[in-house]
Amino acid sequence: MPFMNAESPDSHLIALIDRVALADESALRELYELTSSKLYGVAVRVVSNRSWAEDVLQEAFLNIWRIAGDYKATLSPPMAWMCLIVRSRGLDFLRRRTSERADAGLELDDVLSDTVEGDSPNPMDTALAGEQAWALHQCLSQLDNKQREVVSLAYMRDLSHGELAEQLKLPLGTVKTWIRRGLEQLRGCMARFA
Amino acid sequence: MNLTRNPALVEQLAASYALGTLRGGARRRFEALARTHASVRAAALIWQGRMASVAELQQQAAPSPAVWKRIENLVNADKQARAMQAARQAPAATGGWWASLGLWRGATAAGAMAAVVAVVTGLNLNTALNGQVEQLSARLAATPEIRYVAVLADDKSAPSVLVTYDPKHSQLQLKHVGQFHPSPDKSLQLWALPQAGGPRSLGVLGDGTVVRLPAGSDAVNQVPALAISLEPKGGVPAGSGPSGPVLFKGALLQTTL
Repeated sequence: MPFMNAESPDSHLIALIDRVALADESALRELYELTSSKLYGVAVRVVSNRSWAEDVLQEAFLNIWRIAGDYKATLSPPMAWMCLIVRSRGLDFLRRRTSERADAGLELDDVLSDTVEGDSPNPMDTALAGEQAWALHQCLSQLDNKQREVVSLAYMRDLSHGELAEQLKLPLGTVKTWIRRGLEQLRGCMARFA
Repeated sequence: MNLTRNPALVEQLAASYALGTLRGGARRRFEALARTHASVRAAALIWQGRMASVAELQQQAAPSPAVWKRIENLVNADKQARAMQAARQAPAATGGWWASLGLWRGATAAGAMAAVVAVVTGLNLNTALNGQVEQLSARLAATPEIRYVAVLADDKSAPSVLVTYDPKHSQLQLKHVGQFHPSPDKSLQLWALPQAGGPRSLGVLGDGTVVRLPAGSDAVNQVPALAISLEPKGGVPAGSGPSGPVLFKGALLQTTL
């Protein structure tokens, strides 16, 4: 198993978050250096625009700076906690844009449109992934590329079946079937890691 | 409900719930079930954790170096704003070298911040400083901290009462945002709806738009929802459950993210 030794990346990240909670800027800097590539990747995925994603990353780190003290109260692994903050800020960003500009909802990005269309596997990245993410990685690897992509997009962008179908230009029934089968397979697979 | 006897279906629903594709009435029914059945709730939490890992598996990308610079500026501004606020709230010193240094009058926000850090880390400076530090510390302690929040809605889902919980002061604060006011012979009573057992009274609401009720952390920890019922003036006798209709209710959420 990766990361089981005492000086695991997780415990290092947790120590940094604890220091950030005490308003230690150098700890925030180190946290940024270690995680910004991963977290920027998350932001790009959610908002699908590099410059917006930089705004999201910035907001997320300011958020982490302000609420690092709350980390203790959560049971999440540190990367999962930070990724969730980035995703939340990203979704907020999209909601704000949608409410500011009614026509902004469908600025489709090329990042998105080539993922499900093509057969490229859109490789997952296990750098910095915690143990649970490794398990999920194993299970997601067993899905069809398309199923995996739709599940991943649904989660990252908080999209309904209908919104996915619209964004991916796929029939609603197809989306529903891919998601249902994807989740069924994940359920069976993840049960082995429980 | 016999759904709970079908673990595979519960798992499937929990997975869709965590993914976000379970929507509308189906989502509300699942949430209601999760609030009453620990096994359903556990499945939902497990799947939320699993789905969170989806984010961890995204590909990396390099942000432009300017991003850190912007974050650094914002963090500095944030620190200064906090320090200035602490300084403004500190009472004017009554003479002495401390006042003459003029630290609080905005010479350097960083100096003020250093004093705040001194409070936090418990550094002992000298006695003159300690008096200020204690006052500052008291000011900081007086700032509420919000651990839980709930929006209680009426039967038409219109938000009616905003509830926040401050663990530092063991206090619930309720703010009426709707139009409802009880007639003079009635009172509103706040209830914790714990996972197991009947509603527990958290107190009877006084008049006014903002109501504060004392409550220990035990009274709200692990409580998934709150409700307000309409009761005879002064509330029901201690130990009994609500006797009148429930007017408002809502989930109690921890303010982590």
